[in-house]
Amino acid sequence: MKIVVCIKQVPASNDAKIDPETKRIIREGTSAILNPFDTYAIEEGVRLKEKYGGEVVALSMGPEKAMMILREAISLGADSAVLLSDRAFAGSDTWATSYALAKAIEKIGDVDLVICGKQAIDGDTAQVGPGIAAHLDIPQATYVMKVENVSSDSITVRRMHEDGYDICEMPLPAVITVVKDINTPRIPSLKRRLAAQKAEIPVWKPADIGAEVDKIGLDGSPTRVVKTEPPPSRNKKARRIEGSPPDCARELVRELRILNIL
Amino acid sequence: MRNHIKDKLYHIEILPPKQNSEKLEADIELFAEKYNRVMESGYCACITDNAMGHLSFQGTEMIEELELEVRPEQVMIHLNTFHTLEDLHNILDTCVAKGIKYLLVVSGDGSERLPKLQPADVGAGGKVESVTSVELLSYINRKYPGKFTMGVAFNPYEPPEHEFDKLKRKLDAGAEFIITQPIIEKNRVVDELLEKYPDVPVIVEAWMSKKLHLLSDAVGYEIPENTEFDPIETLKMLIKLYPNCGFYLSLLGFKTQFPLIKDFWV
Repeated sequence: MKIVVCIKQVPASNDAKIDPETKRIIREGTSAILNPFDTYAIEEGVRLKEKYGGEVVALSMGPEKAMMILREAISLGADSAVLLSDRAFAGSDTWATSYALAKAIEKIGDVDLVICGKQAIDGDTAQVGPGIAAHLDIPQATYVMKVENVSSDSITVRRMHEDGYDICEMPLPAVITVVKDINTPRIPSLKRRLAAQKAEIPVWKPADIGAEVDKIGLDGSPTRVVKTEPPPSRNKKARRIEGSPPDCARELVRELRILNIL
Repeated sequence: MRNHIKDKLYHIEILPPKQNSEKLEADIELFAEKYNRVMESGYCACITDNAMGHLSFQGTEMIEELELEVRPEQVMIHLNTFHTLEDLHNILDTCVAKGIKYLLVVSGDGSERLPKLQPADVGAGGKVESVTSVELLSYINRKYPGKFTMGVAFNPYEPPEHEFDKLKRKLDAGAEFIITQPIIEKNRVVDELLEKYPDVPVIVEAWMSKKLHLLSDAVGYEIPENTEFDPIETLKMLIKLYPNCGFYLSLLGFKTQFPLIKDFWV
C-alpha cells in the first residue's frame, strides 16, 4: 500500500500577524511547527503501513524551511519525503495548493491512499484535502475518526459527525482527512530522529511535476482575501469568590449551575 | 539507597535534549559530557522524564544510542505516568538490560502531545480514575519483582496532611526512598518527614539555579523573586541542616558549580 501524507508548516504562536497589504500571514520571524492535525495523519499512515505493508511518503509545499517538518514526518515513521518549493508556488490559495499537491501525487505514482489532517491551524479552511481529491478525481472522506478496514481495492472508514458517525466504503485510490480522535501520535525515538536528519529530501519545482504555471501561485488562485479583521474582543468579566474553601466551592458550583455549565 | 547517603554520593539531575531541539547533535554531545562527568566523579546521574511536560528524549534511549556506560549504583531514571504501555515496557526492559536499578516514580507533568497511562493498562481499571505514581509503583513491582529500587517524590509545599497521606500510599505500594521537592532553607514539613520515617532514606533536593521563578513553577508555590538566594551557600547550609539525608542537585551548573561541590559534603 502506497500512502502519501500531506503536511503543512504553520506558525507556532497564536500571535501571528497579518500583512495589511497582501492579507497573508507574515511568516518571517515567527517560529514554525508541523500543523498539529497533520501529526495524526502521519501516525495513521504509519499504522496502516505497519498493518498492511507498503510505504509512507510525506509531501509538503512551502519554503525551504518546511524541510524541517518533512524530517519530523520521517522521524515519526514516514519512509521518505518530498518538498514542493519554488517562488512560482508562492501565494497559492487552497485550490492552487491542492492542484500542485495532486500533480506531485501523480508524479509519485501508484498511490493508494492520500491522508491529510482535517485542516491547518493557520488558514482553518479544511479545503486542501477535498481539493486534492477533486483534482485527482478520486473519492474522499473527511473528518475520519477511524479506519475500519482496508482491502486490496477499497477502504472503509468512520466519519465523525456532530450527532454520531457515518461508515463509508470507498474504492481506492482515495483521499481521507483525519480528526485527532483517530489515534495517539507516537513520540519520535532518538534513533529515528537522527536518521531523519540525514535523510535526502528531493525538492520539486513546477516543471518537475508537470504543473501548469497559470494554475499555481497567485495567478492560479481563484480566491482573494479582501479583508482580514481580528475577532471582536470578548467582554471578560471576572468575579473573585471569597471565603473558606468549602464556601468558595459551594458558591462556584452555584454560579456554574446558574450559567448552565454544570 | 542508604549507601548513597553513607558514601556521600550526590544525585545530579541531567535533562535529556528536547524533541524540538534545533541543535540536537550539540545537545546530545552536552548530555553525554555531563553524564560521563557524573560517572567519573562517582555521583549518581538522575535522568528526567519529559520534565515540566516538555517533550524530550528518554534517558534509556540516550544511554542506549550513545552507548554510555552504566554503573548500576550511579544511574537513576525518572519515570512518570505519561507513556503508552508499550513505551513504559520499552523503558523498563531497557533498564533491566542495561543494569539500571534505581527509578524515581512520579505522576509527572503532562502535555497535549504526551499520552497517559490508563488505569486498565496497569491493572487498576475500575479502581481509580487516573494513574498516579501509586498505581505505577504497584504495577512495576508486580511485573518486574525484585528488579528495581524505586523512590517517590515528596512535596513539602502541599498541605502536609494530604501529602503525608499520599506518601503513605506510595510507600505501601513499594517505594523505598524519598526525594523532596527543592527546599532553600530549613523546612518544618521535611523535619516532620524525617521524624515520621526515620528508616526510609530521604534525599533533599537542592535548587542550584538562581532562577527563582523556575523554582516557583517547580514547587507550585510562589517564591518572591527578590528573595536573596545563593545556590552554593544554600547547598552548604542544607548539608549542615540535614546530615542524615542525601542531596539531589537540580539544574546544577556544570561549568562553574560542578567543580565546587566535592568539597562541601565530606
